Amino acid sequence: MKDPETKASQTKKSNGGKSLFQKLSGFLSSTDDLPKLYAIGVCLVVIIGLCCVPFLIYEDEQLYPKTLNPASSLDPYDRGGVPLTEPAEIVAQYPENSKSIGYVTAYLTPASQFLADVTEHLGTTIVSHPGGILDEILYYTRGFDTIVETSILFAAFAIASFLYRRSKE
Amino acid sequence: MMEFIAEMDLVYKIGISVAFIAILISFAAMIREKDDIHKLIIVDLIELTGLVVVALIATDLAEALILPGLVVGIAEMMAVSELWLAKEGLQRLPTPQRADIEVLHTAPKIIGALLIAYGIFLTGFTGGLIAGLGLALFFLGKNTNEQFLASETASGYAWALWVMGFLIFFLFPSQWFFALMLAAVGIMIKVMAKIALVGTMRGDES
Amino acid sequence: MMEEILVTIPFGDMVHYLSEYTIVLFAFAAIFVILAVISLPEKPVDIAFGTDGYTLKETPANLMKFQRFMAIACGIATMGAVMTGDIFNFTLFAAFIGVLNIGIVAAVKNKHVLSAAFSYGLVVMMGTVPLFSGAAIIVATTGTLSIWELAVSGGVPVIAKLLLLIGVLGEGMAPFYIGKAEITRASGAPYILMIHVSSLLLFLRLVEILLTV
Repeated sequence: MKDPETKASQTKKSNGGKSLFQKLSGFLSSTDDLPKLYAIGVCLVVIIGLCCVPFLIYEDEQLYPKTLNPASSLDPYDRGGVPLTEPAEIVAQYPENSKSIGYVTAYLTPASQFLADVTEHLGTTIVSHPGGILDEILYYTRGFDTIVETSILFAAFAIASFLYRRSKE
Repeated sequence: MMEFIAEMDLVYKIGISVAFIAILISFAAMIREKDDIHKLIIVDLIELTGLVVVALIATDLAEALILPGLVVGIAEMMAVSELWLAKEGLQRLPTPQRADIEVLHTAPKIIGALLIAYGIFLTGFTGGLIAGLGLALFFLGKNTNEQFLASETASGYAWALWVMGFLIFFLFPSQWFFALMLAAVGIMIKVMAKIALVGTMRGDES
Repeated sequence: MMEEILVTIPFGDMVHYLSEYTIVLFAFAAIFVILAVISLPEKPVDIAFGTDGYTLKETPANLMKFQRFMAIACGIATMGAVMTGDIFNFTLFAAFIGVLNIGIVAAVKNKHVLSAAFSYGLVVMMGTVPLFSGAAIIVATTGTLSIWELAVSGGVPVIAKLLLLIGVLGEGMAPFYIGKAEITRASGAPYILMIHVSSLLLFLRLVEILLTV
């Protein structure tokens, strides 16, 4: 748009007084307009989705269900189990594929064990200590997701640093 | 607890309607917008609406799925914004004068060190984020630019560490504790290096 | 051999989805990865009009290395996308392919190409929303993400399928952009091929998923 030399804007300029089909193909031929076109497509699908909402029934039998136990100091993430000895009960898709399932959930580092004994609200920070239900899912049962995700981060970073370095040459 | 489950269907229906409306509004903004940089900002907002739909699953799985979704969004944002700079030819602009504030000469070292220590204590994604912020703050105060290659290499090794932890989980299930520690430390270093690099990449003559 | 390794070490909830169809797609992607590994970039020829003189455009080494890395990674991501047996993992692989395609296109130093790559990047970023939403609606309404389980139980809402479709459409839109940006005439041609392969295989795999679940 800022570069008057590009083909796209030339097509746009010469579009006055053309037929509807010519205008449409002019719109489609410009790469600048494609995000717009895609957004229109998504909007149409979402409008269909809004009509479908009454037919979306929430399934009660979920994997990794959430349970709340306000009495526990690990509250939103208390899934039972004793660190290093007794694994927690985890509803995974294929428990037979993960032999030592539940141990990671039950594990608490010595520091977090101390905090859990002393304070009431370790649960709000448990996600950032080694061990806990999220580590179980992210590193173990669905660990492959995290591998792909970090690979995406790696690839995006490679692109950004390639472009950055090239500009400095 | 039982009541919570029984109502869940209704809650889900309301939630998904709201999420769909939010998606509709954000994509409609995309249709109307003409300026490239504003498109980029709107896309960043659009990505959040997708996370709302994921969050509506309302299980532990939802929390575990949000993290990849968030990271994918941030990663793509990083690549596309650098692409925008390259496209507009803004990469070679002269470096703006660094803010010469006296407190920035001394404070970042202490606060940065504290943040790094706390991040290492936390480990995992959160720890990496906090430690990365600490590193970025440290570099900001120190005005240094030769550590880039070192932290990129560290990030690569950390990634290998985490993949090794992942394989140990499945090859030797009894060694889960070792694998957990490898994964937590690996991810922490990786995220820390990336965050620190993102924080300092702007406008240095390195 | 490969099957044995995958069967004996299943990655927890991430199971593979082996069928004759996916094996063919996998082999196709593998062939193109090998081609990307062994081939050298071709040199576009500029002919001076009126004379018999011509010049060969050399591809810079760093551009070649970067594009080759992106192409190989894209092939591996495609192999992952056709083999995975988990919907969310599939969407992540699709997003991965989208990012790598941005990389292959963006490596070319040409304003027209870069501006097409930027538009494509916007579409890729938007595409993650319907992709993740589709997977999330599937898990909320059926309680599972495994394609094996969904093939047995069925009951995936139409809207989730539509969202997945439009999401993959966004991630796999790259060939369209390349045609527009005339990047095929830029240097580094063999690696551009991977964009077409990944997008084609992604669509073929999506069709299979949508017909199965």
